[in-house]
Amino acid sequence: MKPAWETRFPNWRGDLFTLALLVIVLFPFVWIIQLSFRAKADIFDSAILFAPTLENYRALWQGNFALSFVNSIISATSATALAMIVGVPAAFALSRASFRGAHRIGLWILVTRMAPPVAFTIPLFIVFRYLELHDTRTGLVIIYLTFSLAFVIWMMKPFFDAVPRELEEAAAIDGCGTWKTFLTITLPLTGPGLAATAVLCFIGAWNDFFFALILTRTHASTAPVAIVGFMQYVGWEWGRMAAAGTLVMMPVVLFSIVVRKYLVHGLAAGSIKG
Amino acid sequence: MKKPSITNGVNRGRRRLVAAGSVAVASAALGLRAPAVIGQTKRFSGVTLNVSCWSAKYPRLLEAYVGEFGELTGAKVNYDTPGLQVYNQRADLELSTKGAGYDVLNITFIFSNRWIGNGWFTPLDPYLNDRNKTQADFDFADFLPGAVSPMKDRKGVVYGVPWVTDSGMSVATRYDILQASGLGMPDTFEELEKTLAVIHKKDGVAGFLTDNHWGFWYPPFLQGYGGDVFRGAPDDLMPTLDTPEAIHSADLLARIVRNYSLPGAGGMSYGQTQELLRAGKANYAFVTHVGGMSHAEPEAKVAKTLHFSLYPRGPKGRFPGIASHGWGIPAGSKNKDAAWEFIKWATSKTLITRMVREKHLGSVTRRSIYDAPEYRKLINVNGQDTGQIVLDTIKLGEQGHMKYRTPPVYPQVNVQLNQAIGRIISGQMSAKESMTQAQTSLIADFRRAGMKI
Amino acid sequence: MVYPGAVAQPWTERRDRELVWGLVPALIMLASLTAGPIAYLWLTSLTPLNLAQPATQWNFDQPLANYASMFGDPRFANSVVVQVKLSIASVVLQLLCGLGVALLLHPNTKIRTVARSGMLVPMVLPPIVVGITWLALFTVDISPIHRLFAWIGLPFGPLLTNPSTALWAVVFAGTWQHFPFAMLMSLAALQMVPEGPIEAARIDGASRFQVFWHVRLPFIAPTLVVAGLFILIDSVKAFPLLYIMTDGGPGEVTEVTNYYVYRQVFTFSLWGYGSAIAVLMMIAVFLLSYLIDRITRRNDGAWA
Repeated sequence: MKPAWETRFPNWRGDLFTLALLVIVLFPFVWIIQLSFRAKADIFDSAILFAPTLENYRALWQGNFALSFVNSIISATSATALAMIVGVPAAFALSRASFRGAHRIGLWILVTRMAPPVAFTIPLFIVFRYLELHDTRTGLVIIYLTFSLAFVIWMMKPFFDAVPRELEEAAAIDGCGTWKTFLTITLPLTGPGLAATAVLCFIGAWNDFFFALILTRTHASTAPVAIVGFMQYVGWEWGRMAAAGTLVMMPVVLFSIVVRKYLVHGLAAGSIKG
Repeated sequence: MKKPSITNGVNRGRRRLVAAGSVAVASAALGLRAPAVIGQTKRFSGVTLNVSCWSAKYPRLLEAYVGEFGELTGAKVNYDTPGLQVYNQRADLELSTKGAGYDVLNITFIFSNRWIGNGWFTPLDPYLNDRNKTQADFDFADFLPGAVSPMKDRKGVVYGVPWVTDSGMSVATRYDILQASGLGMPDTFEELEKTLAVIHKKDGVAGFLTDNHWGFWYPPFLQGYGGDVFRGAPDDLMPTLDTPEAIHSADLLARIVRNYSLPGAGGMSYGQTQELLRAGKANYAFVTHVGGMSHAEPEAKVAKTLHFSLYPRGPKGRFPGIASHGWGIPAGSKNKDAAWEFIKWATSKTLITRMVREKHLGSVTRRSIYDAPEYRKLINVNGQDTGQIVLDTIKLGEQGHMKYRTPPVYPQVNVQLNQAIGRIISGQMSAKESMTQAQTSLIADFRRAGMKI
Repeated sequence: MVYPGAVAQPWTERRDRELVWGLVPALIMLASLTAGPIAYLWLTSLTPLNLAQPATQWNFDQPLANYASMFGDPRFANSVVVQVKLSIASVVLQLLCGLGVALLLHPNTKIRTVARSGMLVPMVLPPIVVGITWLALFTVDISPIHRLFAWIGLPFGPLLTNPSTALWAVVFAGTWQHFPFAMLMSLAALQMVPEGPIEAARIDGASRFQVFWHVRLPFIAPTLVVAGLFILIDSVKAFPLLYIMTDGGPGEVTEVTNYYVYRQVFTFSLWGYGSAIAVLMMIAVFLLSYLIDRITRRNDGAWA
């Protein structure tokens, strides 16, 4: 007869293997975090126990990193807000309308989502020169919109598709205009979708490296670029890089746990890659 | 190496220094402002200066003093020192748009001709020659000619004030191993190979290690064997990388790295090799003076066994690489007067002397400081006067062999050389194949950039 | 007025007209942010633009010179070869790992439900942090992985500076980061496999592998194809890992097309030439997107 615990956990072999795999997969993530709490002298010491220190974080606070972090927050948040304001009604329109060409717009949005960043960076770099948008947060927000907007439309449309049209028709019969119906009836029903879209959109902009590398200098430099700045010519500041990396990845990890149910769809749109 | 003790404010006045540095030190000791700004205090109130340089030792040490400039002039300074790669990227893009994002930028060695040649920096002659803008005590003639010449365009107009002239030289981190084998520092490339054969893996230490900046370390080999990068720089920029001399010397360098270095050494960045050399994992290295001196710091394991020499020579002579970096004012800056004030301040005798005394700054560009015994004592390593090696190297620069650096598309040349030698070391290609490919690719690069050769 | 019987103005038609106003701002923005720049990119690709020489911006004397020069450029050809290697390896590895982990996590036990969230972490990390982490983990003297292998008697040298392993080391790090995407898509598809056929196969005595191969796999195959296409497109955009870990080297063994464009434009200032390559990349991306669009419409969004 099987022991009692084995009947309680019939899948224990698989569970054990799952746990082991999870530990292996998360090891690099945990390793870089612990690195950020090590003192410079024993940063690569193999001892598992060490006296944690905040010196790396303190050093960040004294340098220019704080400004970069604020820049990241402001530009990613603004791009998300703008993309949502413009993109959500557009997604609704695409979901409900039956006009010709709607499908072609869909394909265009998909291509935009998929295009290599360098393809937008070359022309926008030249144009930004005339508009004096280099090294400004405005410029960053504009270039983030090239992918955020397409993403919001692409992500929100299926959520609207899932809302039964009968509700809106009933409201229309009561004399409600299309957009009033949208605001009062449809939008509240897609609350979770809106939250997930906004979070994924934010992560996409937050994780950007390429655009910020090319289009910012000192004033608008974002946190990911600042981290690369710690790759010094004389000696590598691993501790500071790890501390900055930890700070930069914490918000996205927390957010993504909140919206994990919607990640599948959002990732299909590629929000988090690149 | 014994460091001169750091003088604190109390006994500063008692110190007696000879030579030109003393005037500057004395004024600092009396708490005087730099003479250049006497009577113009707070002239730049309300001005914000954006200053950036890559994170070399001097610019990072300078950060501690930047606040003083603000107090002197009233200007607010945004000071930024990212890593070299990010710095070059940003500076190049900003300069190419002629933007006003920066007021003072470092003129990076490999980009100097591209940036100066394209008119992206402000000529400094009008500032240097104007007594109202540059007081006599700045003494531009005090800068080593070898350091200033890379900051000039072909007509001789000055665009930058150098803060470092990094001379290529050799170091043995474990000179004791060489001595135990009855060897001295090798003088020629052939002696080098023979020496390495003896010392490699002795005491568990690899014979050789140098970072992957082959565009800087390889030309001395090439020129030492009678070849050159171009047929006749600066006028005839036809590459000559597939000549027998080029192939022979590339093969020699690659052989040295392959046979006598650590695994993966062919692709290690400067930071990586420096860490390993400091830790005593490899012995002989090509280094710049700044890089080599960092191994003399007390924390370095090899500080006591360090020995320097000139870069080795080939049958045709000795042609060590010399890399100058300097402060310049981007053409698009809107605060040029304040920017010039900053450059003068950052390279003034007063400040540099203080940085030498207070922070052990080891790389300077002023003759007067080289001549100051205090500085020479600072850069004396295990009884060896490294300053003399620097001066000799810079003197060798007068042969004009650094002219290969003159094409405005030099960044491409640099990358091609890095990759060509990298391919031979890693065994992807033979020296002949790799150098022939470098030759054709470089010609294609030049054509694409619209150059006629 | 009576809805919806107003014959002159059917409800839907009137609604469509109102809906257009929701679409217009987005379309204007998309056009100015994407269609405009792409058109300008194409124009630039016809010039020898070099920011050092402003006159080159509108020089259309040899409009096809950049495109012609691509064919005689061994480094461009090399970058395409590297790109193909990287893309194929990424697609295969990410699909295999993703599907494998999904099969492991598919049963609903407490631990596996938790693991489903835990496994997502690498995917949302900023690529730059992933690059730095793996750069450290691939550096012999400081990496616990190297130490572990040396301890069990299987030491290996630095992977990133060795031309025969550098690309695979980058692919490995990329797979670590992106496999959860294929895992999520596979998990979603697996949940939708009907139980009926699986039960039937089990009763017929099919082994676990046979059930997977003959019942589950055919059902989830369309999802895997779409996932593969997404991975393929994203592999064309590879940049941050390469920038941090290898800078395209050693030599050019990790210089993919995207990285080559970056070098040509932002290091060497060859804007015209870089634009021409970027135009070709856009065309490739368009074709792939078209393919995704066709497949997903046929499957009616079953994968989403």
